[in-house]
Amino acid sequence: MSLAGFEVEVEQVNGAGLNTEEMTLNMGPQHPSTHGVLRFVVKADGEVMREAIPDVGYLHRSIEKISEKVGYHGFMPYTDRVDYVAAMFCNQGWGMVCEKLAGIEVPKRGEYCRTIAAELNRISSHLLSVGTMVLDIGAITPFFHAMREREKINDLLEEICGARLTYNYMRIGGVAWDLPPGFAEKTLAFIDRFEPVLEEYHDLVSVNAIYLGRCGNVATISAAEAINYNIVGPNLRASGVRYDVRRDEPYSVYPELEFDVPVGTGRAGAVGDSFDRYEVRLREMKESCKILRQCFRQIPEGPVIAKVPRKFKPPAGDAYIRVESARGDMGWYAVSDGTEFPYRCKVRTGSFAAMSIIDKVSRGLMLADLVTVIASLDIVAPEVDR
Amino acid sequence: MANGLSKYIRNIVDTATTVFEGMAVTCSHFVRRPTTVQYPDRTPMRVQDTLPFRYRGILEVDMEICTGCLACERACPIDCIVIDVSKDKQTRAMVMTRFDIDIAKCMYCGLCSEPCPTGAIHHTPEFEGADFSLESMVRRFVKDPVVCYKPKKTGEDDPEILPLLDRGMRYVDEFASPDGTKPAAEEGDAETDA
Amino acid sequence: MQDLLDRLMQQGHFAGVPVHVVYLIGIVVVGAVVLFGFVLNVAGGTTFIERRVWARIQSRVGPNRVGPQGILQWLADGLKLLMKEDTIPEAADPRLFRLAPYVVVIGFVAAFVCIPFSGDLIAADLNIGILYITTVTSLVVVGILMAGWASNNKWSLIGGIRAAAQIISYEIPAALSIFPIVMLTGTLSLQGIIRAQGWAPWDWFVFANPFTFFAFFILYTSLLAEGNRTPFDLPEAESELVAGFVTEYSGVRYLFFFLVEWGNLYVISAIMVSLFLGGWQIPPVTDSPILRNLLQFVTFFVKSYFWVLVAMWIRATLPRIRVDQLMTTCWKYLVPLGFVNLFGTALWMVIWPNGNRVVEALMTLLGFGLIGYFFSRVWFHLRRSRYTRAEILLSPFS
Repeated sequence: MSLAGFEVEVEQVNGAGLNTEEMTLNMGPQHPSTHGVLRFVVKADGEVMREAIPDVGYLHRSIEKISEKVGYHGFMPYTDRVDYVAAMFCNQGWGMVCEKLAGIEVPKRGEYCRTIAAELNRISSHLLSVGTMVLDIGAITPFFHAMREREKINDLLEEICGARLTYNYMRIGGVAWDLPPGFAEKTLAFIDRFEPVLEEYHDLVSVNAIYLGRCGNVATISAAEAINYNIVGPNLRASGVRYDVRRDEPYSVYPELEFDVPVGTGRAGAVGDSFDRYEVRLREMKESCKILRQCFRQIPEGPVIAKVPRKFKPPAGDAYIRVESARGDMGWYAVSDGTEFPYRCKVRTGSFAAMSIIDKVSRGLMLADLVTVIASLDIVAPEVDR
Repeated sequence: MANGLSKYIRNIVDTATTVFEGMAVTCSHFVRRPTTVQYPDRTPMRVQDTLPFRYRGILEVDMEICTGCLACERACPIDCIVIDVSKDKQTRAMVMTRFDIDIAKCMYCGLCSEPCPTGAIHHTPEFEGADFSLESMVRRFVKDPVVCYKPKKTGEDDPEILPLLDRGMRYVDEFASPDGTKPAAEEGDAETDA
Repeated sequence: MQDLLDRLMQQGHFAGVPVHVVYLIGIVVVGAVVLFGFVLNVAGGTTFIERRVWARIQSRVGPNRVGPQGILQWLADGLKLLMKEDTIPEAADPRLFRLAPYVVVIGFVAAFVCIPFSGDLIAADLNIGILYITTVTSLVVVGILMAGWASNNKWSLIGGIRAAAQIISYEIPAALSIFPIVMLTGTLSLQGIIRAQGWAPWDWFVFANPFTFFAFFILYTSLLAEGNRTPFDLPEAESELVAGFVTEYSGVRYLFFFLVEWGNLYVISAIMVSLFLGGWQIPPVTDSPILRNLLQFVTFFVKSYFWVLVAMWIRATLPRIRVDQLMTTCWKYLVPLGFVNLFGTALWMVIWPNGNRVVEALMTLLGFGLIGYFFSRVWFHLRRSRYTRAEILLSPFS
């Protein structure tokens, strides 16, 4: 087989091939570059992988079962832990599914607050994803620059809800706190200083020949494959499918906001390779900045939370909603039996589906590429295992 | 052939120019001030003092203004708050004998401080709670039995309690409500709105 | 050094002592001074400086607690490693596992025999100087392969094999880039090569003709690859192989491997400076031999350390390349370019046997022009980030 101009041939000695064996390697739950506790059993023929079988479950915390004990209101902080990197979307998802169950409408200002918090969280989640991807590929500096910007976003979100990672900002019916005074100015000032950082990232990383060589044409996922394997979010858009829940099944205030949905262009090789997944995230961050500016211009006055009883007893039935999380289409399903504890709650996350395609896409890749694939698919372990 | 040669030279030139540009970016960072906050000893002021008022640090209870309504105990999803309230036979007042918060279990979600009518239970900016013993993780706020606070209809006039109440109400008023007002503090009110 | 000892004996300092004993004492003294006075300190200090340089590039501070500004950090790290438990995996090959660090250190320290420090200070000015250095630094491959194999760990094995393939491959472009210089001077001795250059930039070999200019970059790239530095640090790729071939090493043995990695930076830079950048040459400002040697020592050290800093800077900037791309770069790009440089220099020497002053001047201008353009790009990036005056900190102390 031919890999990038390097021919591999097996010597024929006395009519018999050289005896080579496949190595079984364990990229174990403890590893510097699997994002969280993920395990891969890799069968490699030298540097080339034949199989990469994922083994999940190391971070399973029975969050869905816990919802049946703590009730609708009490479950909100647990949703933060489903994906702690992009926790606002999980909050929003749970809030929306409960509101759908009980037929509650969130006031306009509450929706705008939710969107502002969510888009800020999208930026910080993408920063983490892009930063760790570059770190895994070997460049150590852009990771720190991304973390520096993420710190600033954490400070902003700390002002709005009091916590930096597990926000518990949203409640059923709206949000818990209104925007503090001066928040709009601070956020707009942050966005003004942030957009040049994206440009810097572009110059330091996206045009770098070595980076293009490492990510271009690596683990190309075609549009049909992506749809078949349930890939969602930036991964799906990188493969050329222009699907975004905010655009196609709009919720909250997204119908009133103007933004583009970036799609992979195949600049580094093929549409849907690792580089496209990285670049789509960079461009999405820019779009989130645009959305934030519009939100601050359009946000109305008014209450931020609807009237919701303390003992929340939605009528029996079930509801399914979708949120466009940083990692894609996150689906929340709740079944209510009329009491104040849900009968069943289920989360469908983008990372879980992305794990399924890793084996298929990494056959024939080199060991160094497995790391690139995992990082470019932006898999976070808590989402996979819940 | 010529196409291959031009692509070859293009590769070399691209690599050289992008490496050059990348090094210019990192050099521009080299002359900038580091953004590190050298906690804990070289910060300009205590980090706890720079945190916003809403910051959800370690919980604290002002027993002077606690009404014993048990709203926080009910709201906590982890059951880390344990309160014992009983009616004292002689004085006919509600007395609290136990108010324990296990800060090791607490997940700092803020669901307990939201329904508090007076803001007795609130988060502080304190986050340094590490200690060597597990027992110290249970904060016991009641040493001797405490009489539950009864909010006065005409407003508080005790100069010792007033600042606590002001601060507590300020904390609780940060929480949003559907009509913009906070309901008056009532004891044992289980069905009040958020 | 042998000349120095001969002169001292002629002046009657070592009366009554047999010649071989004098030489032996000289070797031991020089070895000790060079090793403990220079090599260990530079290698250790480089680990600290690297962390501070990276930190500034990454908007951080770096170690600044242990000692004033943190300069004792490397001593603290070394002491900590010395005190660590010596673990050897149960199924590891006991002799090879123990031997590997020593082989690597021998390969590294032996290179210092030929590295000049100033005009008169060199342990041994062998007439095969540069050839000796490239040969002896290849011993490191043997050590790395031993380490990878003897660790009985598949990840270490992969790291060791990658390292072996990498170092062996990049010897070729390195040698091909050294040949033009050897041709220009007709000698392999490092002092001879340095003496053939002058103190001024236009007398340096890097600006002698366009072919040596490109040979300079090819040599730097190849030597970085030989030293397992990013962008060629696959053998110890943290994010893939945990720590590559040194995964199973702890304590002093680990210290040896990392001593070699950082000390090698100095050897690489010293080679670059000797061959291309005029070595220790200074303008003739003084007659006193001590002062002259001191100035030459400082010049050489500063020039070399600058290239050490550039290597650190490159490591902070660039991602690492994959093993097949590494091979492609070596065999399909650097080797042909090396040959082009070789023949080009040979042709140049035929046409202009004594060099071409005009071209040298032009090349010098080009070199400085590139540096100027580089700073203009730095300024562009600073301006684009909308910096405020408070955000600039030029001082390295913080």
